[in-house]
Amino acid sequence: MARAHRVAAVATVVVVAYLLTLYNFLSVPLVDAQIAEQILAVLPWWLLVSFGSYSLWSIGKGLFTLRETPEAYQELLKEITEAKNDLRTKGVTVD
Amino acid sequence: MQGYFNTPDTHKYSVILPTYNERKNLPVIVWLLAKTFTENQLSWEIIVVDDNSPDGTQEIAKQLANVYGEDKVVLKPRAGKLGLGTAYIHGLNFVTGDFVIIMDADFSHHPKFIPQFIRLQKAHNLDIVTGTRYRSTSKPYTPDAKPGGVHGWDFKRKLVSRGANFLADTILNPGVSDLTGSFRLYRLPVLRHIITVTVSKGYVFQMEMMVRARALGYTVGEVPITFVDRIFGDSKLGANEIVSYAKGIWVLFTTV
Repeated sequence: MARAHRVAAVATVVVVAYLLTLYNFLSVPLVDAQIAEQILAVLPWWLLVSFGSYSLWSIGKGLFTLRETPEAYQELLKEITEAKNDLRTKGVTVD
Repeated sequence: MQGYFNTPDTHKYSVILPTYNERKNLPVIVWLLAKTFTENQLSWEIIVVDDNSPDGTQEIAKQLANVYGEDKVVLKPRAGKLGLGTAYIHGLNFVTGDFVIIMDADFSHHPKFIPQFIRLQKAHNLDIVTGTRYRSTSKPYTPDAKPGGVHGWDFKRKLVSRGANFLADTILNPGVSDLTGSFRLYRLPVLRHIITVTVSKGYVFQMEMMVRARALGYTVGEVPITFVDRIFGDSKLGANEIVSYAKGIWVLFTTV
């Protein structure tokens, strides 16, 4: 079973449970019926906005923490020169 | 685990280098690899899989074989440009070591990280160690790893790269931070196994290898690396690559 099938199976269960609750076939325990109704109506939008925020935050943090490594570049340039000089003495054609 | 090679380390590391028009880069990368392996007393070989480059890459490879030995620099050319995935399969036919390192020949991947890959592999008996540009510590943790990073990327390149990894990470949950990187150490049988079940090409190929590895239950470690974008020549990343990448993620999502 591919990951898509597992995700689809879980999503189906969640959506069915949500719809049953929304149309009062199931009741929400421990919460007042009126309040539960208000929460259920906006729950999908709340999840969508939360996911969007999480995505933006995640990518933004990734961009911010992606290090610049100029020192690695400088070191590499030196090594390239060293390598070329050494290889020339050994008879390898280097441009 | 003990290997059967007559070196302090008991293993032999085979680097597969696919090349196409790399006559400028090949001598330097071979020199850097040779230096790293010699300093660390490791047994090594480099399999150069050249796709019939018109710029004379093979001529340079032959000169290098004369300098370092024909057992160290092994030229195994192919008739034409046949793609990255099949280059590794071709190279694997000639590997004599028990570990394989795959990397780019343009020195965006520096061989100095190979000893760290090997130490991490040994410490945790891992099947695969992959380089990551996005972490500051190794996974599992080791004290000798230094933070990774990139050089030569503009904002757009960074954004695309971060977005691409976020997308793949969210949809596929591969447990590896750098999916599109291609600097990796594999146990030989593990690479053989994964590559036979991998179907994608291009950018998606490296990602699929990691997703398959996880699905097959292989252990993967990560070492932070510094990535210096190609000094000679262009690296390609356009709208076409992004679309084929997104398609690739979808295919993996629905099949693995």
